[in-house]
Amino acid sequence: MIEDLIRGSLDHCVKCTICESYCPVSRATPLFPGPKYVGPQAERFRTGGISPDDSLDYCSGCGICTHVCPQGVKIAEINARARRTLKERNGIPLRDKIIARPTVGARLATPVAPIANWTLRNKAVRTAVEKAVKVHRRAPLPVFAGRTFQRWARKHESPPLERTVVYFHGCSTNYFEPDLGAKTVAVLEHNGFNVIVPEGQGCCGLPLQSNGLFDDATAYVKRLVSTLVPYARKSYDIVATSTSCGLMLKREAHEILGIEDDDLTTVSEHMYDICEWLADLHERGELKTDFGPLAMRVPYHAPCQQRGHGIGTPALELLRLIPELEATDSNRECCGIAGTYGLKKEKYDIAMEVGRPLFEDITAAAPELSVCDSETCRWQIEHGTKIDSVHPIELLHRSYGLD
Amino acid sequence: MASVQTEVLVIGGGATGVGVAWDAATRGFQTILVERKDLAEGTTGRFHGLLHSGGRYAVKDRLAAEECIHENFILRRVAADTIEDTGGYFVSTPWDDDAFGDEFLRGCRDCGIPVEEITVAAALEEEPRLNPAISRVFTVPDAAIDSWKLVWACARATKEHGGRMLTYHRVLDIIKDADTVRGAKVRNELTGEEFDIHADFTINATGAWAGVIADMAGCPGVEVLAGKGIMIAMNHRLVNTVINRCTMPADGDILVPIRTVSVIGTTDIRIKAPDEPEVTRDEVDRMLDDGEKLVPGFRQARALRVWAGVRPLFKDAKAADSGDTRDVSRSHALLDHHQRDGMARFLTITGGKLTTFRMMAEETVDKMCEQLHDKRDCRTAIDPLPASKDGNFYSLGERLVKREETMHHDQLICECELIQRRKLEDVMAQRNSTILDDIRRSLRLGMGPCQGGFCMYRATGILHNVEQIDNNAANKSLHDFLQERWKGVQPILYGDQLRQARLDDWIFQGLLDVEHLPHNDLAEHDGQPHDDLAEHDGPSA
Amino acid sequence: MRDVLVVGTGLSGLVAGLRCQEAGLSVTVVAKGVGSTHLAPGTIDVLGYDPELVEDPIEALPAFIQRNPQHPYAAIGATTMRDALAWFMQRFVGYRYAGGDGNLMLPTAIGAAKPSALVPETMAAGDLRNGGRIVFVGLRQLKDFWPAFAAQNTSAVKLPSEAGVTARAIQIEAQTGGEADVNGLAFARLFDDARFRRAVITQVSAQLEDDEVVAFPAVLGVQRPHEVWSELQDAFERPVFEVPSLPPSVPGMRLYDVLRTQFERAGGRTILGAEAVGAETDGSRVTAVQVSSAARVKPHPAKQFILASGGFGSGAVTMDSSWQVKEEIFGLHVAGVPAEAEERFGPHYFDEHPMGRAGIRVDESLRPLDAEGNRSYANVAVVGASLGGAAAWKEKSGDGISLSSGYRAAGVVIEESK
Repeated sequence: MIEDLIRGSLDHCVKCTICESYCPVSRATPLFPGPKYVGPQAERFRTGGISPDDSLDYCSGCGICTHVCPQGVKIAEINARARRTLKERNGIPLRDKIIARPTVGARLATPVAPIANWTLRNKAVRTAVEKAVKVHRRAPLPVFAGRTFQRWARKHESPPLERTVVYFHGCSTNYFEPDLGAKTVAVLEHNGFNVIVPEGQGCCGLPLQSNGLFDDATAYVKRLVSTLVPYARKSYDIVATSTSCGLMLKREAHEILGIEDDDLTTVSEHMYDICEWLADLHERGELKTDFGPLAMRVPYHAPCQQRGHGIGTPALELLRLIPELEATDSNRECCGIAGTYGLKKEKYDIAMEVGRPLFEDITAAAPELSVCDSETCRWQIEHGTKIDSVHPIELLHRSYGLD
Repeated sequence: MASVQTEVLVIGGGATGVGVAWDAATRGFQTILVERKDLAEGTTGRFHGLLHSGGRYAVKDRLAAEECIHENFILRRVAADTIEDTGGYFVSTPWDDDAFGDEFLRGCRDCGIPVEEITVAAALEEEPRLNPAISRVFTVPDAAIDSWKLVWACARATKEHGGRMLTYHRVLDIIKDADTVRGAKVRNELTGEEFDIHADFTINATGAWAGVIADMAGCPGVEVLAGKGIMIAMNHRLVNTVINRCTMPADGDILVPIRTVSVIGTTDIRIKAPDEPEVTRDEVDRMLDDGEKLVPGFRQARALRVWAGVRPLFKDAKAADSGDTRDVSRSHALLDHHQRDGMARFLTITGGKLTTFRMMAEETVDKMCEQLHDKRDCRTAIDPLPASKDGNFYSLGERLVKREETMHHDQLICECELIQRRKLEDVMAQRNSTILDDIRRSLRLGMGPCQGGFCMYRATGILHNVEQIDNNAANKSLHDFLQERWKGVQPILYGDQLRQARLDDWIFQGLLDVEHLPHNDLAEHDGQPHDDLAEHDGPSA
Repeated sequence: MRDVLVVGTGLSGLVAGLRCQEAGLSVTVVAKGVGSTHLAPGTIDVLGYDPELVEDPIEALPAFIQRNPQHPYAAIGATTMRDALAWFMQRFVGYRYAGGDGNLMLPTAIGAAKPSALVPETMAAGDLRNGGRIVFVGLRQLKDFWPAFAAQNTSAVKLPSEAGVTARAIQIEAQTGGEADVNGLAFARLFDDARFRRAVITQVSAQLEDDEVVAFPAVLGVQRPHEVWSELQDAFERPVFEVPSLPPSVPGMRLYDVLRTQFERAGGRTILGAEAVGAETDGSRVTAVQVSSAARVKPHPAKQFILASGGFGSGAVTMDSSWQVKEEIFGLHVAGVPAEAEERFGPHYFDEHPMGRAGIRVDESLRPLDAEGNRSYANVAVVGASLGGAAAWKEKSGDGISLSSGYRAAGVVIEESK
């Protein structure tokens, strides 16, 4: 039972301050008193779910606190649930409702992508948008691709290979990075898998959840799950290239939204981050290792949500299979974007300060590109470094010679 | 030797005594209260925090039930700031006869207790941790009341009307002549000074210790039974509504959300002496089992602290002599010693429960007025206590809101209970006491999950700084706190609490090494500030 | 399949994992979260009290072991301890550890004198053994350090050498951007900045007296502690030392970072946010540890396993509300637990408690022993706080146990892997 699992976990807190020591937001701003404070500590003062403390809103939801807690307190999850009631009390700004639904805007913008993209990059427009809706004028908004991955997938015939895997592409791949989707399919097929791309995959609801719109998020999750569960029930593995969306289905939909549902559980049990899955394949000796050399030094940044999987850094392990490629771990906590957090006017500067050490490291190394498993992080890193950032799959794809 | 003259002398600083002082002072009597330790150090400070609706007695003890609901309404008006309006449920668990619920309904209605039966589903929606196997739920206006806040509010009201509260003043003897009590000889425990208080009227409100004072007054035979009850505070609010078992009163049938914890209580064992009652493993085990019935998973939840309170039950000659003190009437007893013992100007008020303290005080002061032939009207049901004037109930999130306002310019000393530095320094200055334990109790410093692991070094450092006491006194303060804390933790040191204790051991012994503080003269110490007739005001919130 | 799986990333786990990885074994460390180093002062306390003050722990160790055959040191041995300490000191370049000439007596944040065998160089000047004059510098916005209190207690310290110590206190107002409540780690980050340091130097210099050693709370930089400390010493022209206080422990974090970085550079793999919840066995060998991560429990097979999970403090060994004790991953026998009906803890806080030394008993190879004294598993080693037989916080031996047991376990594993 969720109440038990999440709020009850505050009992494990021994006030050791380790979470606060790692929290990237409290390092960047005194407006946020820290995860221990707003999580297990303040939770004891919240009754019937009412959250009277506004400083909680500065929590970015990165989840590093839960990740480092030596006692197993579900700090980020406590915060997320408390933030929801905070929003209920204060009202949810229109802005949050908009940015929490990327598919809505995306569906409208995709047919007119060039115009939409130009508009969103126009300074005057952005200034006006900032005033009206409080999305920061310089916030890294994604670029519409003008075509969808779903469309490509519908036209693509995956070869009837011995084994099958299901691809959960997520809405960012669909509307903003359809090429990544195509490359992912190619890598999977190269490894001997027939790839199924279930139709009608919608948004996983993560941006809704992180903005406190729990009911809407729940509806999104259930819709998405219904497109995936038939395959999960056939015991197919489901791989996700958007590491945060994968985590949403693996665990956050249950732990934060409180959804208790057989379909969700089944999908969770079969959900894998793509690098996790490929690394497992490698461990079993089943990964094709015909990697061509890529003579590059690339910094790899593990997104907070990737860490939340609790699987280590399989992307690094895979990259290290590529000859002549030197992949280094950024060893930085967070790029700052935290999904939609860094887009907001009042949070943008904090987010940029959070990501500053990472940006400085990457800029100083001056690589051709950086590598990161989460799309919103990639956009933030590109914004902060002016250097391209790619998903690990892109390097595997290149190294396999599938270009 | 110095002596003091007053109109009314109240002996005993629990809710009853403080209530009497409040009542007398607001009626315009010059009043002094003496208490041998700190206010609410006895029974009042050790109960579970329940402001009864009376539902618990609706079937068994009509009188008690009616008194409770009557006072419940009054206190909500005059002491709002000390009350959190949690509401209460009476639930029929699989271990209860759910037909009792009908008797319960009838009883409540007969006593004038607002009651309603709601669906189990509605109750579980409101309280997801409740046992889903309950069969019936009734709502009543139970609430949680903060006894320290209450007692200090009454003290403040008394002072505002010219009264004086003398804590750490022990009564050595009652001053009397052949047929009249004239006051008491007291000793200031902090300075050692002894002096007499001459009073027109003396009221014995010492609760479980009433017999001791009555004996001194030449009124023997006041038998007050000591009923020990243990309570366990769980680390967080498992429920936000008072949960009662819908059955005849028994052990462990109440779970009270009070401030940041939920308290399960209580047992009822007759003991000989009311001082330093022990907590046994068996009692703890029973409380945990009882908790498990109300909230499945109770045993996996973290127990924060356990303590024993002693309830004073005046033995009525009519009651059967059972070991279970619960059978003795819960109602209070006002002893008119003039009638009973030929000793005038002396009353004893004992028994009762916190919910009816105001009423007990009113009765007592009425009686006193009668015997003084000086009828004055009681004000306590009319004039709200200080801090309760706006009529707003206490809300748990208050400290969170306050911290939001000050987080950039005031340091958070006790993080668990959100106590800030300025507040701590104020209380230290006001209370003129370097007894960290007193300060701890009034602010709840070090009573949160970390059990002082993080705040005690800070608080001791502040004490040393603010109070200008020397390091030996500060060391002793810390040492005493650690031992005092241990008493409340040792019987429930399992699970998560054990993890905390381990970390605290590392902090106090492995990091700070308090055991090897220099000059381990942790017996007596110097450094107590003192003045004559030390006055003590309480914290304002 | 990895050669070694280490559960836990506290001092003992880090040491064991690092030593194995550098010896060419493939090591994975799984941990629920970041370990105990962040909570400990960063000193290596080997043996402080027995129950009297121990002046030289290395010298005292053989006799101590003789008298305490159940203590983890008995399984580890004095020679291994010496080797472990030497190995440990070699790990640090730039920011070094000092010690090796008996226990240093350092003032704690409350002013007691605590014996430590090895201490970061940034603390060594606080050694009270030869007496001296100290000025404790407080930072007004830091609530975890009370210099006047510490100074008064330090002045009253009684040392075996009878050397006199006088201590006083001063306080400065640091530039914290207006914030009144700044913790030690935030201060350490400020100290990493040269401009901040210069302002501190100016304020403190104005209040210094001749011939005194300058004591700061342990916040002298988290990235560049050696540089920060050296600069202060040069500027003040007096020795400077830092005094560890409540968590977050900056010196503890430095220690963690050094070991972890070396582990990663050597090719070690770490998985955080991954709790070990059980084991798969085959007779007397463990074949895999079951590790919980998002949505699943996954078996991690390995040839050897090192249990560095942290004892009672981390929930690796638990006692439930019915007073039953359990080691959570392998179900190892926990020795030193009183019989069912008996009290686990006594009424006085500072006394030793009946359950005070409960933990896993091991043989000389640190293999866990069952209730009869036989090896439970041939390929599991137990290190650190899970070990029974010690009252580490009383003896001041916790770090010594962690370091030497981690070192020894690695030695055993390396040997057996040949």
